[in-house]
Amino acid sequence: MIRALREVEGGLRLLMNVWLRVPALRRAPVRESFLRQVYFTGVTASTGVVLRASGLGALIIAFTMQVLDADTSLAVKILLWVVLREVGPLAAAMVVILRTGTAMSAELAMMRITGQTDALRRMGIESYDYLVVPRVMGVMIATAALTCYIQFLAVLGGMILAPFVIQASFTELYTRFFDLVAPIDFAYSIIKSLMFGFVIALTCCYHGLNPPALTQNGVPQAVTRAVTQSAVAVLTINALFAYLIFGVLFFGLVKAVV
Amino acid sequence: MSAIALRYDLKRHGHAPVAVAVPGGVTQRLRLPDAEAKARLVGAVLSTRCAADEELELFGEPVKGLPRAERARLHDRIGVLTQAMGLISNLNAWENISLPAAYHGTHPIARIAQTARDALQSLGTEPGVFLARLPDEMDPFERKLVAFLRLLAKEPALALIDGLGEGLNREQSARAARFEAEYRARQPEGTLVFVDLAEEEPR
Repeated sequence: MIRALREVEGGLRLLMNVWLRVPALRRAPVRESFLRQVYFTGVTASTGVVLRASGLGALIIAFTMQVLDADTSLAVKILLWVVLREVGPLAAAMVVILRTGTAMSAELAMMRITGQTDALRRMGIESYDYLVVPRVMGVMIATAALTCYIQFLAVLGGMILAPFVIQASFTELYTRFFDLVAPIDFAYSIIKSLMFGFVIALTCCYHGLNPPALTQNGVPQAVTRAVTQSAVAVLTINALFAYLIFGVLFFGLVKAVV
Repeated sequence: MSAIALRYDLKRHGHAPVAVAVPGGVTQRLRLPDAEAKARLVGAVLSTRCAADEELELFGEPVKGLPRAERARLHDRIGVLTQAMGLISNLNAWENISLPAAYHGTHPIARIAQTARDALQSLGTEPGVFLARLPDEMDPFERKLVAFLRLLAKEPALALIDGLGEGLNREQSARAARFEAEYRARQPEGTLVFVDLAEEEPR
């Protein structure tokens, strides 16, 4: 209980520090670290999601039309709800937690254990400025970009691939999609993915810089805590967002009382 | 500049007092009686702070009770090469050398690059390949060389090198001995202090 309270307090302090120190991005090494983070989190992760995202879109359309016997309009509506609003941002967040979150928390924990954070302080370099700010900002932007990329691939892939497995025409799917899509769907998913990126990076930085022990054994423990807490935080934010914006939880199973 | 660049006194209970005074502009080798005294001297200079049983004077200014800004000003004139070296593992040699200057914007990067290239060439190392390597790919001498080049990049008026030959073999120690000439070539007026442990008396 005390540890949990201490972690919440530490996380809040880290959050305040990050926002106050965003201008540190003007410094060349911090900017370089930020770009490196965007590249690692966004660009290198993008190649691995092409097939999966396209397949997901096709699967949703095929499943809805073939198994549930729905018409094109309902299939596209489900594609919109599932891919744009929920699965796109969540899939990107999971990719970021598994690839970047683990790497980031392990790297920072190693730096802390081997005295590299102390070395930075002795050089007059603030750990928050050099280690936390570029990672948090980089992961936020990369998560949003990765979300857009996954959504684009899932929608386009779904529309292109679905006609090969079921009786549906690309033109019809395409027309229905643009009839039903609204700007709020994009705004909602982008804001949500920025929040996901923020909370993932913050949690991983916190646990990386505060490993439970300053020995080699502290690294896996820090990574485990970072990953589990990031996943819980992402799922909580996802549920809160759905409830606050659309008044529904768990794909409409729980509705807000108006 | 003051006549004394570094003065350090340590009075510990049950130990002989340690008193060090290094004049400005010279190269001096300090032999401290034990590891604790050595670590405390290096720590005090590195942090420009001293404990109750220590006295530290840098360039004639006692650091005890000095405001933070004044301590930072003194710190800017000092370069310390510690045993730990403090290299960042995910940055290559060049990034490690230029990091403090690039972060604080204190020295032009082009000048640091020139200094690093010249020093490496005169120490018999090919800069192109060396500067792209990560600390984990280097031997102890090469890591020490990167830390020394970072020290040179700071152009310190007082450079303190802790245990230069420690962890190095004979050939590497001979190469490391050339650091003195490299520092002197760039800081003719500077003060260079090597800190080592006094060798034990033969029984």
